[in-house]
Amino acid sequence: MSKLTRRSFVKLAGGAAAVGLAAGGAPAIANSHKHHVIVIGGGYGGAIAAKYIRMADSSIMVTLIEQNQYYYSCPLSNWVVAGFRNLNVQKWGYDGLKGHGVNVVHEKATKIDPVSKTVTIASGKTFKYNRLVVSPGISFRGIEGYDESATHMMPHAWKAGPQTTQLAKQLKAMKNGDPFIMVAPPNPFRCPPGPYERASLVAHYLKKHKPKSKVLILDPKDKFSKFGLFTGGWKKLYGYGTDNSMIEWVPGGEGGKVTRVDAKSMKVYTDLDEFSSSCINVIPAQKANMIAESAGLTDDSGWCPVNLETFESKLHAGVYVIGDASAANGLPKSGYAANSEGKVCAAAVVASLRGKPVPTPSYVNTCYSMISPDYGISVAAVYKFDPAKPEKVHSVSGGLSPSDAPDFIRKQEAMYNESWYQSIMSDTFG
Amino acid sequence: MQRRKIHMLVLASGFLAGGMMFGSSNAEAGATAEMLANTCAGCHGTNGQSGGPAMPTISGMPAEYMNSIMAAFKSGERPSTIMGRIAKGYDAKETALIAKFFAKQAWKSAESAPQSKNRTLINPKLASTGGKLVKKAKCGKCHEDDGMTQDEDTPRMAGQWVDYLLFKMQDLKNEHLAIPQPKKMAKRINKLSAFELEAIAHFYASKK
Repeated sequence: MSKLTRRSFVKLAGGAAAVGLAAGGAPAIANSHKHHVIVIGGGYGGAIAAKYIRMADSSIMVTLIEQNQYYYSCPLSNWVVAGFRNLNVQKWGYDGLKGHGVNVVHEKATKIDPVSKTVTIASGKTFKYNRLVVSPGISFRGIEGYDESATHMMPHAWKAGPQTTQLAKQLKAMKNGDPFIMVAPPNPFRCPPGPYERASLVAHYLKKHKPKSKVLILDPKDKFSKFGLFTGGWKKLYGYGTDNSMIEWVPGGEGGKVTRVDAKSMKVYTDLDEFSSSCINVIPAQKANMIAESAGLTDDSGWCPVNLETFESKLHAGVYVIGDASAANGLPKSGYAANSEGKVCAAAVVASLRGKPVPTPSYVNTCYSMISPDYGISVAAVYKFDPAKPEKVHSVSGGLSPSDAPDFIRKQEAMYNESWYQSIMSDTFG
Repeated sequence: MQRRKIHMLVLASGFLAGGMMFGSSNAEAGATAEMLANTCAGCHGTNGQSGGPAMPTISGMPAEYMNSIMAAFKSGERPSTIMGRIAKGYDAKETALIAKFFAKQAWKSAESAPQSKNRTLINPKLASTGGKLVKKAKCGKCHEDDGMTQDEDTPRMAGQWVDYLLFKMQDLKNEHLAIPQPKKMAKRINKLSAFELEAIAHFYASKK
């Protein structure tokens, strides 16, 4: 005992803590709870699934595994990039979920074994589950030259938090006259209107603070979400289409696809051209988060095929995938869709544990984007599942804001955007 | 009649195919009230208790009132930015289930909502000014008990968000929107200034 070094003592203590966790966790499953559901990922999808399972049946033990102590919301983080919102307004903790009786474990899930029905976390502890909900978000596919260190020079800011702050800082420090270069991602990706909202809000910032600068979007696509509404707003506010436009959009068909970046020289390359600036935002192509891939939940597309009636994986029984990682055909990769998927999945999980038939799902998406702080636009839809056409959910109503809406309606939608955010966050973390 | 039969046959076979693939399905039963209502919670908060100051709390709203509002959103009789697009997604039976679900939820005042980070707080001085204005404008003739009362054609206002109350009164005054409202109410609202509407919003929000 006297030979114990400080380091080995810490190791032992750590081990004891892990055992303590096991004592507080695993045996409790057997004793007082009939079933154990593990949720991996505490964002728009996972937090909702955890909460709504507990709301539907408090006899189910729910453990949420989320590596971060705090969650930073991507929706509305473009406001932070453009400098008119504090990142703290985007920050949420897990006390609300604990209040619903969810066990929150702040560690990284490192391994999912769908055969033995276990999840292992970074400290080595293994949890057994009856049902597993995976809501891990996205990982990036490579662009040549965009490695880990390049993400600090050319932030993606496509996962909110330090990346958001980093891009905001670079925008602020950018010389008046330099372009804000955005490398837009190919489909499918998280938040389809997101890059174009960001371009709008950055243009709003530039108009005020760096009028000699402009936004240059290099895009592999030839069209994007809310296309008419965005370009209509850009014409109205930023001179889009004129020689003095604050926003220039280069579509794929006109050589907009970026094939390589060089963070050291702050340059991005297309097939024919190169562009450089002190502020470059690279949003790479995306796929389901690595944890889903290593668990064998993804197919060749890189996303997770699911039964859209339940969100149960088509590849592994008892595992459900929701949010951006799932291939939820018909639904966008949005925060509200993740919220809706989380609730459909929660009801399906509860029904399956009780041996009841699959509940008929109902889904909604509501998504606002800002073209300026006073100019909001939206898309909304109600979706149904048709067992005769199970490969896609279909919308039964919805659509975009009218293209000819008066200014006061745009202002109202901007206001509703903020309230949308506060409400969905209270639904998620409250 | 025949067409309907064929349609039903198609549905039934579709259901069988779905059932074979995914285990027992319940699609023919339709979504439950809870399933449908939970889709509203992203904007109107869990069980209808809104966390966003421009979105109304709808927990405890009388079913008749919600049914008539949803029908008005659906037909376009009541203008909206987004609710018209959403209301069209539910048939009358589904809307009735949603309305029934929220009617059963307990009302909680907006101020007790889980930590909303960006809202107008109630200003007691403005609220007291608002109280006098409400008396003068005779709002209490319909909105009885300081806006606490709600029935099939009167929404609850007591304890609602300040911001929502103000925005809605501004909308009622906005002639471009032409929101359906009782003649007497339109007349009274039109006479009130922007400041007076604000005070009235604070008054009703302050009542629990």
